[in-house]
Amino acid sequence: MFGFLGLNGAGKTTTIRILLDLLRPSAGRASIMGLDCQSQGLEVRSSVGYLPGEMGLYRDMTGRELLDFLGRLGTRPVVESYREQLVKRLELSAAELKRKLREYSTGMKRKLGLIQAFQSDPPLLILDEPTEGLDPLMQESFYELLSEAKARGRTVFMSSHVLSEVGRVCDRIGLLRKGELVLLSTVEDVRALAPRRLRVWFDRDVNRPGDFPAKYEIVEIQPRLWSLRVHGPLGWLTEHLSGLPVLDIEIDEPRLEDVLTRYYREESQ
Amino acid sequence: MNGAVTLLRHSLKRVRTLVLVMGTLLSVFQVVLILVAGSIQRSSGFDQLGSLIPDFMRNLMGPSFIGLMSFSGIVCVGYFHIAVMGSLVGLTIALGTEPASEIETQFMDLILSRPLARHWVITRSVALLLLCTAFVLLMMMLGTWTGLHFLAPSGAEWPTGELIRSLALNLGVLMVCWGGIALAAASRARRRSVAGSVVGLLALATFLLDYVARAWQPAESIAWLSPFRYYAPLDLVMGKQIPAHNLWVLAGVAACGFAISYFLFSRRDI
Repeated sequence: MFGFLGLNGAGKTTTIRILLDLLRPSAGRASIMGLDCQSQGLEVRSSVGYLPGEMGLYRDMTGRELLDFLGRLGTRPVVESYREQLVKRLELSAAELKRKLREYSTGMKRKLGLIQAFQSDPPLLILDEPTEGLDPLMQESFYELLSEAKARGRTVFMSSHVLSEVGRVCDRIGLLRKGELVLLSTVEDVRALAPRRLRVWFDRDVNRPGDFPAKYEIVEIQPRLWSLRVHGPLGWLTEHLSGLPVLDIEIDEPRLEDVLTRYYREESQ
Repeated sequence: MNGAVTLLRHSLKRVRTLVLVMGTLLSVFQVVLILVAGSIQRSSGFDQLGSLIPDFMRNLMGPSFIGLMSFSGIVCVGYFHIAVMGSLVGLTIALGTEPASEIETQFMDLILSRPLARHWVITRSVALLLLCTAFVLLMMMLGTWTGLHFLAPSGAEWPTGELIRSLALNLGVLMVCWGGIALAAASRARRRSVAGSVVGLLALATFLLDYVARAWQPAESIAWLSPFRYYAPLDLVMGKQIPAHNLWVLAGVAACGFAISYFLFSRRDI
């Protein structure tokens, strides 16, 4: 699962549209699974399920008609039982699928978009801002669908603004800044770049140590509370605390946001 | 190929109401014209009607005036009345600009993210134009046939089947010509309204050019640019054969329009 990140206007959607041969690059080439996206576009797209950021729909079609129509345009067969399972999991009823799309809410259109992308169970899913417009419960259902797709060996390429979501579901990330890929890494490696947040509470007042090693950033030091950011293993601190009246220790996992917001800030400056 | 058929079926389904309503209206119009012509015929009004027309109009219209002032002539008006031609050209523009509409609504993103080659989108539109044009013209001919068989007064001189077929064929090729132009514009445009307006205004301008050129000599030198110049219904009513040249020119423009559409659409950003 690959998370494709970037601020608005960074070029995420443009990149996705080039991969699908909807846009033609002015220079360079794009390929998926070793196949050129332009000259071998048909082969590429026969393996792709795509959810656009904004779904262009004919308002007088029903949900069912749209799914059938898009299913017939593909080369991979749509297994009816799997589609029904998707419909059920994303809580669209048969009655709702018979309704015209003009009556659909934003969230319902998004669910329909997800179903059409998943329905032929393609080897590669390209999802542009997939959880935009989904309520929290539906987001959970979507994450489950993603992890099941991953378990079946499918590849997911999703763009998102939501860093916590990417940190939760993706294995690798790419960060786009002004059209350039400035970071390409596993989520674990990116997390390792981030400091861990550490707070230590003491039973009674303690003196501040003279010097903290360089990898420790001091956020706040009070007589009974130290709040720090630590890069790498704790090392020195564990030894130092052994002689102090420690009441509690809280260590937050490193967050993707801590690293990525730094990249974002560099862009906005 | 399967995908292209799916696309065509989808488009046919979307335009079926428009095409059915237009076919029915134009078919009814043919029947109404036959009722009108029958009424004039029964009251021996064609002679009186002819005498009411001022001389300058007779001179302007030439010998075709005589052909028009007859039962047969009035029946044929249904194939070149300005309202009929305007409706049909409007229909073909609407059909031809469908790709621009699909791009504008972003529905094309969903279509072309499937393994469907771009040329099938244009092929779909060409097939749609041909099918709908043929259907509407057949409906009109059916209206004429029905009206003549059930409502024409006895003794009235019917237009020949060949004349009706020639008018319908020439009108059909003219429609396809405008469809080709509309499709070419739609293959470049991002908005259907832009493509439709440009082609609509072009159709109006060329219609007026052809019209003005009939009465004003200086305009005659450029009147060949107007596709309407290659549809001469009054000549057909007067018994002339349909000039193959006219059909070739119109079909040629249509073919160029289609070829340009394939070229532009294969290279454009969606």
